[in-house]
Amino acid sequence: MIELNHLTKEYPSPAGTVKALTDIHLTIPDGAVYGIIGLSGAGKSTLVRCINLLERPTAGQVLIDGEDLTHAKKKRLSEVRANIGMIFQNFNLLEQRSVEANVRFPLELARFDKAKRKARVEELLALVGLSDKAKAYPSQLSGGQKQRVAIARALATSPKYLLCDEATSALDPNTTSSILALLKEINQTLGVTIVVITHEMRVVESICTDVAVIADSRIAEMGKVADVFSDPKSAIARELIIPDLIRSVKSRGGNKLRLIFDGTLSDMPIISALAMDTGEAVNIVYADTKIIDGKPFGHMVIALPEAPARAQAVKNYLTQKQVLFKEEI
Amino acid sequence: MSRLFEQLGAQGFLLGAWETVFLTFASTLAAYLIGLPLGVLLCVTDRGGIRPIVWLNKIVGFAVNIFRSIPFIILMVALIPLSRALLGTSIGNSAMIFMLVVAAVPYVARMVESSVKEVDSGVIEAARSMGASSFQIVCKVLLPEAKPSLIVGAVISTVTVLGYSAMAGTIAAGGLGSIAVTQARPSNAQDVIWLCVALIVVIVQVIQEVGMLIAKRTDRRISKNKRAKAQRTDSV
Repeated sequence: MIELNHLTKEYPSPAGTVKALTDIHLTIPDGAVYGIIGLSGAGKSTLVRCINLLERPTAGQVLIDGEDLTHAKKKRLSEVRANIGMIFQNFNLLEQRSVEANVRFPLELARFDKAKRKARVEELLALVGLSDKAKAYPSQLSGGQKQRVAIARALATSPKYLLCDEATSALDPNTTSSILALLKEINQTLGVTIVVITHEMRVVESICTDVAVIADSRIAEMGKVADVFSDPKSAIARELIIPDLIRSVKSRGGNKLRLIFDGTLSDMPIISALAMDTGEAVNIVYADTKIIDGKPFGHMVIALPEAPARAQAVKNYLTQKQVLFKEEI
Repeated sequence: MSRLFEQLGAQGFLLGAWETVFLTFASTLAAYLIGLPLGVLLCVTDRGGIRPIVWLNKIVGFAVNIFRSIPFIILMVALIPLSRALLGTSIGNSAMIFMLVVAAVPYVARMVESSVKEVDSGVIEAARSMGASSFQIVCKVLLPEAKPSLIVGAVISTVTVLGYSAMAGTIAAGGLGSIAVTQARPSNAQDVIWLCVALIVVIVQVIQEVGMLIAKRTDRRISKNKRAKAQRTDSV
């Protein structure tokens, strides 16, 4: 388990102190795929670097399995880092080393038994599907292949945690999907807890179990992906998760309802049923549903009839059908 | 053909060329033994380096700048007493090597520093995230990743030292420079001077070409046009 307690990070700058992180409180349970999403400059890269202490927090604690890393000795910190793999947006492979030598690198650092290294490297390259590229050099690989090598390298010392800093941001959509699928597989088959830093909603959507939304150096909102996505409360989360919905709501006058589908009702033809049962034909202003965690989730915005009594009838009907909804102005 | 030219003969010129090559390589090699660690130290201890020790960096940097700004011919004269104290002599090839090393070390240190600084900070960060110690980062990341650039730097340093070695005649050391300046110049043997020039040009060209070839051959990054030709399987 990774726990961040009241974490604060400040940088000195000519214009005064810059706060990169403000009182971050976060718990990442074992086995999770934890997404940390935010716009660029929100502090998410600093946050992930505080986890393995590449950045030293100004205040607060970083607890890895209960051990406070901010007070760890150098040697101990090296050991703990071998238990926390990390991959990067720019892959950061050693350009002068072959693929297999890159994967072997952390094993050399940890003074792994020479005989065991070779077998381990082969095993890892097979895991990421690059056994045939063992002798190639990074400059001969595509972006997706480079990230696979980086993943194999990060997993070499069998870490319990894997930190991904914008790992798919430099990749095209298809490659992104394949890398995300690989990360999900690693989480499920090896039980590695994964922390994903990203500015892309689709990354969180497709692999994360939990999410924290970070804005202006603070956590704006966090929780299970299903919960946060079905009902984002903070302004920044709404802007990130349902930007089109916000726009469509603003572009049209009158009272509107946002229906929230949380995975139990969305395959029911609720609007048709509403029209038939109450005689109220409502306008759909916006609709978007997604499959997350194998369940359907989504939002739909409908325009309410202007007459208060008829609007109330619609609401009563939805309540009776156990459809979650919120009024949107 | 001048009398000196006949006196020297093929053997004389070959000996001169050999002495030039020997002085140059022996001095450059010795200069790297000290300059390489010094250059790494300059890079590593710099603000933003992997182990910032600003005061040490400032002191070493200052010393390097001082030595680099002294013209070699003056440095040689200044080093005469020290050479006598350390080597028991201030003339001949061994004194010359000593002086060349003193002159080359700061130069080499700056060369090495700039090569090592080119290494992508992301790669260093990746190594740190894997638990690498500063020493491991130097040995396994900085130096191997900077290798092609270090080789290019070594070629430039060698050629610079070769240039300095031409002043060997001043302290009765050998080489083509010495032949041209102390033997051919007084008797105005133009043919000897020009042959020395030609031989030095050939030596420099050989060092340059071979060095660059090695740098290119050992570099695992593919240049852009090579990449276009290289077969790529974007199956992922």
